[in-house]
Amino acid sequence: MGVDGLSVSDARRPAAHSYNVRICHWINLVTCAYLLWSGVHIFLDFPELYWGHTGYRGYPAAFRLEDWGLSWDAAGALGDRRWGRNYHFTFAWVFLINGLVYVVWNLYSRHFRNRMWPARDERSLAYVRTELRDHLRWRSRTHAASGSYGTLQKTSYLILIFVFVPLMILTGIAQSPGFTAAMPALLDLFGGRQSARTLHTIGTVALVLFVVVHVVEIAAAGFFVKVRSMITGQER
Amino acid sequence: MSTRISRRRWLTTSVPALGGLLLTGCTRETFVPPHLRGGLIGAADVLTMSTNRLLLSGQQLAREYSRSDIADPFPTWNQTNPRNTEYQNHASDGFKNWRLPIGGLVSRPRELSLDEIRSLPARTQITAHICEQGWSAIGEWTGVSLQRVLEHAGGVLPAARYVVIDTFDGWYEGYDLFEVAHAQTILAYGLNGRDLPRGNGAPLRLRVERQCGYKNLKFLKSIRVVDSMAGIGKGTGGINSDFGFHWFAGV
Repeated sequence: MGVDGLSVSDARRPAAHSYNVRICHWINLVTCAYLLWSGVHIFLDFPELYWGHTGYRGYPAAFRLEDWGLSWDAAGALGDRRWGRNYHFTFAWVFLINGLVYVVWNLYSRHFRNRMWPARDERSLAYVRTELRDHLRWRSRTHAASGSYGTLQKTSYLILIFVFVPLMILTGIAQSPGFTAAMPALLDLFGGRQSARTLHTIGTVALVLFVVVHVVEIAAAGFFVKVRSMITGQER
Repeated sequence: MSTRISRRRWLTTSVPALGGLLLTGCTRETFVPPHLRGGLIGAADVLTMSTNRLLLSGQQLAREYSRSDIADPFPTWNQTNPRNTEYQNHASDGFKNWRLPIGGLVSRPRELSLDEIRSLPARTQITAHICEQGWSAIGEWTGVSLQRVLEHAGGVLPAARYVVIDTFDGWYEGYDLFEVAHAQTILAYGLNGRDLPRGNGAPLRLRVERQCGYKNLKFLKSIRVVDSMAGIGKGTGGINSDFGFHWFAGV
């Protein structure tokens, strides 16, 4: 915190996570766990995906869980969409409000500019190449030990927050009969309600992969220290 | 009722209600479900419904598609042939003796035959049926505006808040007057240019195009206008919400 006016190398010294980042992070963890689990329940109750405006059982599908060994009835028995819908839409609101608090607060505190926007020397190809090589060798010489973010990390967080999450929200509400009546452009944006549902599902898989990589990276950098710093704000 | 709950209720209802005051003709019922569930889920219900209703305050139409988008035959789902004896008798004589009672808080309660309903001004709309389970299909629905049918019964009385529809398969749902007033809220007797098939709800089904499939009741038996959903079913406002689903099915 308080890195305004400091040089880039100063900013890379061990820095605490702000209250806002820590609180929003852990609320987000619980929220996303509920969103994922409730979303899986909703999907299992109709385990097929389509492209375009139309999709129903018997219509040409882009993906059928049946083709992957889980029958329609078996999937339906696993999924409870009443529970799923109630919790998915509840936590969608928690996610949205928590996300807005996080973004507005960190725009105001210049967190994005100071800690997440790659500095000039971090934007070179050579820097990224070194960082990538270190990642692949399970070493974090460039930045991780210092407590600041690397270019790849910064870029992936920024894309996640400002591109990916908005697309997940939009593909979500593009499935809603109410929201699409108010904003029919959502249907055109994604090529139809069923396309939106398919993209929402693909996005879910991508988000899960992101979390896997995220946790692996944390583990590589020292799981205990990193988790503690996200709780207490102290790196050591 | 504890203080905590009443404070929550005050909070979850007063904010949307304030919006209601700003929009003429909109009441608390426009923004808040008839029965409030507790906790986070209840708060989310109110947020979802009031956000939708604010965005839809212009009563915009749901997307209407072209003929080439139509699914024919239209898929059938859930109940396709109620076992109810009364229904089977009506079906066996082509619904000639079927009558739709329109009662409750209307000026002139009456019954309408299928021919009388067909003689009222018709509206045809090519819209998507959106099932909450995830499927959707586009059909060409022909019917009469629910608002027009209520006017045919002399219009609703000032105390009216909800329209309750009962069906032959034992379902019922409540609809607030904002939903009823929408141009695409029709009682459909035709699908894809033919009489409404039995599998899709013959002789008459409801179309509420801004809500999920389960609010689009099939096999209509009666319509009544009420001032409150309390005392009907479990009192949550419809059979789906009695089962724990959202009363407002705009998502």
